[in-house]
Amino acid sequence: MSYLEHTVKYVPAGPRKVLYVHWPITLLLVAVAALGFLMLYSVAGGSYTPWAEPQMKRFAVGLVLMLGIALVPIWFWRNIALVAYLGTLALLALVPFFGDVGMGAQRWIDLGIMRLQPSELMKIALVMLLAAYYDWLPMSKVSHPIWVALPVILILIPTALVLQQPDLGTSILLLLGGGAVMFIAGVHWAYFAAVLTASAGLVAAVFRSRGTGWQLLNDYQYRRIDTFLDPSADPLGAGYHITQSKIALGSGGWTGRGFMQGTQSRLNFLPEKHTDFIFTTLAEEFGFLGAVSLLGLYALIIFFCIVSALSNPNRFAALLTLGIATTFFFFFAVNMSMVMGLLPVVGVPLPLVSYGGSAMLVLMAAFGLVQSAHVHKPR
Amino acid sequence: MTRTPLRPLARILEARAKGENPDAIERENTRARHEEMRDGARARAEGRLLVLGVMFFCAYAVIGVRMGLMANSDPVEPRAAASAARIVAQRADITDRRGRVLATNIETHSLYAHPQQMIEPERVAEALVKIFPDLEFKRLTKDFTGKRKFVWIKKKISPEQKQAVFDIGDPGLLFGPREMRLYPNGKLAAHVLGGYSFGKEGVDAAEVIGVAGVERVFDDFLRDPAEEGKPLQLSLDLTVQAAAEQVLFGGMKLMNAKGAASVLMDVQTGEVLSVVSLPDFDPNDRPRPPTEGAPDDSPLFNRAVQGVYELGSTFKIFTAAQAMELGLVNPSTVIDIRGPLKWGKHRIRDFHNYGKELSVTDIIVKSSNIGTARLAQMVGAKRQQEFLGALGLLEKAPVEIIEARGSTPLLPPNWSEISTMTISYGHGISVSPMHLAAAYATVANGGTRVVPTLLKQAGPQYGERVMSRQVAAAAREMLRKVVTDGTASFGEVPGYAVGGKTGSADKPKPRGGYYKDKVIATFASVFPAHDPKYVLVVTLDEPETLALGEVRRTAGWTAVPVAAEMINRVAPLLGLRPQVEPGQLAGITLTSSN
Repeated sequence: MSYLEHTVKYVPAGPRKVLYVHWPITLLLVAVAALGFLMLYSVAGGSYTPWAEPQMKRFAVGLVLMLGIALVPIWFWRNIALVAYLGTLALLALVPFFGDVGMGAQRWIDLGIMRLQPSELMKIALVMLLAAYYDWLPMSKVSHPIWVALPVILILIPTALVLQQPDLGTSILLLLGGGAVMFIAGVHWAYFAAVLTASAGLVAAVFRSRGTGWQLLNDYQYRRIDTFLDPSADPLGAGYHITQSKIALGSGGWTGRGFMQGTQSRLNFLPEKHTDFIFTTLAEEFGFLGAVSLLGLYALIIFFCIVSALSNPNRFAALLTLGIATTFFFFFAVNMSMVMGLLPVVGVPLPLVSYGGSAMLVLMAAFGLVQSAHVHKPR
Repeated sequence: MTRTPLRPLARILEARAKGENPDAIERENTRARHEEMRDGARARAEGRLLVLGVMFFCAYAVIGVRMGLMANSDPVEPRAAASAARIVAQRADITDRRGRVLATNIETHSLYAHPQQMIEPERVAEALVKIFPDLEFKRLTKDFTGKRKFVWIKKKISPEQKQAVFDIGDPGLLFGPREMRLYPNGKLAAHVLGGYSFGKEGVDAAEVIGVAGVERVFDDFLRDPAEEGKPLQLSLDLTVQAAAEQVLFGGMKLMNAKGAASVLMDVQTGEVLSVVSLPDFDPNDRPRPPTEGAPDDSPLFNRAVQGVYELGSTFKIFTAAQAMELGLVNPSTVIDIRGPLKWGKHRIRDFHNYGKELSVTDIIVKSSNIGTARLAQMVGAKRQQEFLGALGLLEKAPVEIIEARGSTPLLPPNWSEISTMTISYGHGISVSPMHLAAAYATVANGGTRVVPTLLKQAGPQYGERVMSRQVAAAAREMLRKVVTDGTASFGEVPGYAVGGKTGSADKPKPRGGYYKDKVIATFASVFPAHDPKYVLVVTLDEPETLALGEVRRTAGWTAVPVAAEMINRVAPLLGLRPQVEPGQLAGITLTSSN
């Protein structure tokens, strides 16, 4: 198939594959998820309900899902990438018609057993498709304008659909994730430089357009930006999230107030304390050390992914692994930055820790793909 | 990009010539090219990964540093500037000169509702109307059943009312603590104290702000937390004020006046011991300002300060004093008073015909307009203006109540010679009774300027000298003679040698000209005349009394008896001993028995 095929020596097959599953990554995922259970237990005031128990069940399902995906050969995933992308795109397009409305936005499709967020699924499907695309595309054409335009369109279609739900956070993650895959695949520097310049211009335009007839964002989005720029301007209104989470982080200090001792989160000062803002609970109860430990766990996961990808001669497998690792990185980096006031509040959950079914299962499926890439690496 | 061909012709031919398989060369070259491509791709991918790794690292570093900074920060609850400004409800007391309370605060409760939490809005509305009859059932029902989340019901309620509302037992009815201002003496000194209203209102407290009188002028002081609730001590004397109000009210009724004012002032310190304006009001329930009618019809109108009137002949003493001060005349100088005095088209007449000529003393005693006008002609416009200015009659009365800002004297637009002549006997110039009292205090204290004040003073004012002691003493003698021999004979109070000057001025019509049957009757008095301690000005608005078969309006028949009664009542309260002149012990001779 590829020009690397002659290097194939041995690919695990049959039950032996289990031996080749990347166990360190699996253990790290379990560790992060366990930390999440602890936090959900604490946020609920020392109770498994309403969050910790369902989250554990979902994680168990997710773990099985991950291993299941891991044992399926990686080339199968490459072959269905386009189908997966188109299917998810169809679901995404259907959301406005069949979706449920939650929290002021229409993001969910009810599948009976669980409510699915197609936008979550799209994060993986997009990375898969782009990895398959660059695997298929000869290296010499990677930077050709036409072959650059195609993936850009593939990224922009779902982004536009998600943006209109409206879900700014997920659409930003889609852009970043897709862009990262293109970057790793080796698209010429100049394109990225051009996009950066253009987005700087766009930001300027967004601010210039405020209050005029052709205003580019919703008022609430402008308010979020204002709040981000100066949260103290309105600490009880729009700046509430950030101000309260800053207090939580400050009161946690270096070593934290101790498990189940956080006041900010448990006294209901924090909105979304079990989802997007769960990091503040962690920071308050376990302090700087706890927060840095979580960062360390995440960093190790990403490190193992990169190492696995570097030693993988299969271009699709390597790109997929790196793309998923990058998306994962963006997930928690954006969430933490948002909680700590480095970025505007856009509504991105903390991967594996925040309460939420779709996000958890999709993430485990993504790591299933990473595992599959690792298992089926020619050795 | 120049590529080496996979099947270079030269080598192929060479190989063919050697009989080797030329395909091996192609395979070899293909492999080499693939390896080259792979290495290139790998190198590029590694470069990109390195960049990505640096970005990851930077992001990690930023997040980590930020986390450290925040962990190190103090968890301080921020406060919104607007909602955090605490309502300062405390307000200092106001006391009289002896520390008796004139205004204080009491704790009451406000009543408000959260209609969304109300269980039976209709029953609550019904019960509330029973407790507070001034509430409207319909209005309440509408407020309670609508979408409103918060409704004020009553700003202040008594403990009994609170209990009654409490007994309704609806969770939607809530109470808030609230300080309110209380004036325990009711109407007493109402015009000085002014009144209050609520400023910013919260459910936990409300700002009490002064709206008039000293409450308004000293609002900042009374509310200043730095003063630690130190009471504001006024110059008023509560008992004197009460007596003055009582006498003046009686006098106003007796003289059928529509209004009255009095000012009692210490001549040395300028302290106002009592100031009354009738009709009055209760500052606990201050009426709304009138929206129509003349402002002085409202009880809120302070006649003693806001009311500027032509005070008539009371001004004559200033003319006489100035003429003496300038050395133009002495008390016994004889002045030609043949009338009427013509000046252009104006004619100046006297109330009675006093003959051909009078001494300066008699001009004052008999109150001759012509004689005073002649004195004024000698003094001249410019000097008269300076003198009245020095007495403080040409500017607003500087007393510390907000209404004093409305006490601007009315002066002639150009101070012509005829103005000089009419002003000399108190026409063509309008000042308030407060102005007049301060000017008389100057005459009474030996000739120094007095600034009236409502705050207790530590000692006498040593104001600038307006006239010499001798002139002041001569003027006082004239004032005493007015009471003993002249127009104010009803002003005699046994034991307190009263001196004073009457003034009866026709009231001006709103559209020019003067009423024939409406006067402002004023008596400005000093007592005891030989060494005056106090000055009292009594003004009656439109008095009218029947005496000796005639309708009397002049001050001698109206204001003077009221003032005399007032002196009779307040002089003992002020601590003045009556100085009883020994009677003639007729028929008894001292003999010595041997």
